[in-house]
Amino acid sequence: MTVSTAPALRKRRPPEPAAPTRRRSLRPTLVGWSFILPNFLGFALLTLVPMVFGLALSFMDWSPWGDPEWVGFENFERMIRNSTFWIALWNTTYYAAGHIPLTMAISLGLALLLNRTLAGLGFFRTAFFLPYVTSLVAVAVVWNMLFNPTSGPVNQFLQLLGVSDPPGWTSSTAWAMPAVIVASVWRDMGYYMVLFLAGLQTIPNELYEAARVDGANAWQRFWNITLPGLRPTTFFVLVMCTVASFKVFDLIVVMTDGGPGRATKVLSQMIYEEGIREGRFGLASAISLVLFVLVAGFTVIQFLIQRRREA
Amino acid sequence: MKRYPSALAAIAAAATLAIAGCSSSASDAADPSGPVTLTVSAWNLDKTPEFNALFDAFEAAHPNVTIQPVEILADDYPEKVATMLAGGDTTDVLTMKNVIDYARYANRGQLLDLTDLVGELPTDKIAGLEPFDIDGKYAAVPYRQDFWVLYYNKALFDAAGLPHPDRLTWAQYSELAKKLTSGTTADGQKVYGTYHHTWRSVVQAIAAAQTGGDQLSGDYGFFADQYALALDLQNAGAALDFGTAKTQQVNYRSMFETGQTAMMPMGTWYIAGIKAAIEGGTSSVEWGMAPMPQINPGGETATFGSPTAFAVNENAKNVEVAKEFIGFATGEEGAKVLAGIGVVPAYGSDAVTAAFTALPADELSRTTFTENKKVALEMPVSEVTSDIDTILEEEHELIMAGQKSIADGIRDAGDRVKNEVL
Repeated sequence: MTVSTAPALRKRRPPEPAAPTRRRSLRPTLVGWSFILPNFLGFALLTLVPMVFGLALSFMDWSPWGDPEWVGFENFERMIRNSTFWIALWNTTYYAAGHIPLTMAISLGLALLLNRTLAGLGFFRTAFFLPYVTSLVAVAVVWNMLFNPTSGPVNQFLQLLGVSDPPGWTSSTAWAMPAVIVASVWRDMGYYMVLFLAGLQTIPNELYEAARVDGANAWQRFWNITLPGLRPTTFFVLVMCTVASFKVFDLIVVMTDGGPGRATKVLSQMIYEEGIREGRFGLASAISLVLFVLVAGFTVIQFLIQRRREA
Repeated sequence: MKRYPSALAAIAAAATLAIAGCSSSASDAADPSGPVTLTVSAWNLDKTPEFNALFDAFEAAHPNVTIQPVEILADDYPEKVATMLAGGDTTDVLTMKNVIDYARYANRGQLLDLTDLVGELPTDKIAGLEPFDIDGKYAAVPYRQDFWVLYYNKALFDAAGLPHPDRLTWAQYSELAKKLTSGTTADGQKVYGTYHHTWRSVVQAIAAAQTGGDQLSGDYGFFADQYALALDLQNAGAALDFGTAKTQQVNYRSMFETGQTAMMPMGTWYIAGIKAAIEGGTSSVEWGMAPMPQINPGGETATFGSPTAFAVNENAKNVEVAKEFIGFATGEEGAKVLAGIGVVPAYGSDAVTAAFTALPADELSRTTFTENKKVALEMPVSEVTSDIDTILEEEHELIMAGQKSIADGIRDAGDRVKNEVL
């Protein structure tokens, strides 16, 4: 603020020589920079430079034991010819399309349930948050046991309900992705629930009281007060959840390793395999670029829609 | 390569060296008796006691040499070594975990030419040397040669009143497996006739070794019979189904050691594993081993396996000592040390077999170990091996999990290999 208001004030004063002005206004700028510099240095060294380097790499052929060589669009051509890339792109989209709405709906539902006075409230809030801080490997192993096609509790329960031919879950190409989505929603819902809870606390209680006096029912109160009041939170959750969904890697690697076949292989996993395992940094960078464009594109669209709504 | 059993990894190396003095002929070094520290790349040392045995034996014979292992996590071994070499690392002896990695390093000129050393060795007694031949030159020498056999649980066979599985055909094997599937273990687990681990080699490498099929060709019709057999056993309930084994990450060792399976095709690295389990008191299985079942009865036993070798870094600091160590580890002395702890050395002789005390005393187990056999390389080496390996693994999963028919899986694997790799 200092920087932007200074010129306005100066206008009312008699003109001064240019040089001293610049010197005087430089100082607050430098002070400002010095505050952000440590953080920016870390960001630049560890994120920005590698990102730009990665962009350049996607046009090169480079392995850990050779010199980079400019190959133009060869990596992209190779990527397009590779059937695994298209499958991974589809799987990533499939996962995001299942994970984002389900996580948001369930975490919002939990937040509404737990945003009231209730015996054992702290216990329930902690219980729902717990999956998020549990070791991911443990989560994957336990869900794999639950989803065991022959002796897992999930299928035993389904059989109890009369389902004679329950899904094969992680051993079936059709059901592996739904199984992964269920496990990931279960793991993430607690985290987003906490965000929604924080958002709910900011909605003034007077609004609900006034609505009640006017005869609004629970659904009307939710639709006309809670949802609009939560809009900033919902937007934040949506963006975070979208970014996390497209980047999914760990849970899938531990739970199915992309299988059976390629039924759950996602882009970030393919980047890891092509880059680290096969040493094809150029091809891996090209796929990363696609993933980046995908995530950035969705985020920008969400920002545009949000801005229009606010206007 | 993540499929490879960690026990195989155990190979490693260690090494050592130095010697200078150890043999009276090595007297031309600057200071042959001066202290030398030889560095050797190795993995998971705590689970590979056999290598400490090898190093200790070498150090005992060469008092001026100290072996310093460069320990690397088994799963990261190929990537780590590649990175080390790219960075000009000077580790003297490099253990070649498998032939595919060897070909990569050697083709990049990162390994010292050992053709001269190989010329001095009793090569007729060293098994598994052939895959290391690159245009007539060698850059590594195998010290260990594992091959696949059929492990069986004697108590379960005897309880069922069935003869031990000597030189079976696959049809006989299948029939036996179904007969042996009955009852439960003391822990209440179902007892299966056999267990096929989830690796694709259990089906594909066996088919390639016994039909002469080429896993790099893109024509995979030769897999069909072996898949039909494996799926039939699984559908009959005589083998644990693939889906369960895969999703539950079933450990083949516990399947066999707790008596949940009467038979199991597996590599000879497992001999040391069973020995350790029995000595450690975690298993009381009465085991034996038989030759792999065959397609055609009566002929020479055909199976598959993979050698593990030592190489010298192009940037090594102690080249002479490194060669000395390799000569020791791949020769009779090293072989006896390895045999003593249940590891199958590449070097074979009667004395080595006599030192192999981990082997059960019965005749069948001994002949399985000593007979002449045709050991095909688990996976042929080429620039495209790794890509094809990935495709074959994915299609293997789909066939075994019942997600694709055998014909579709074989066709898709071939199409993908031809369109995307070859």
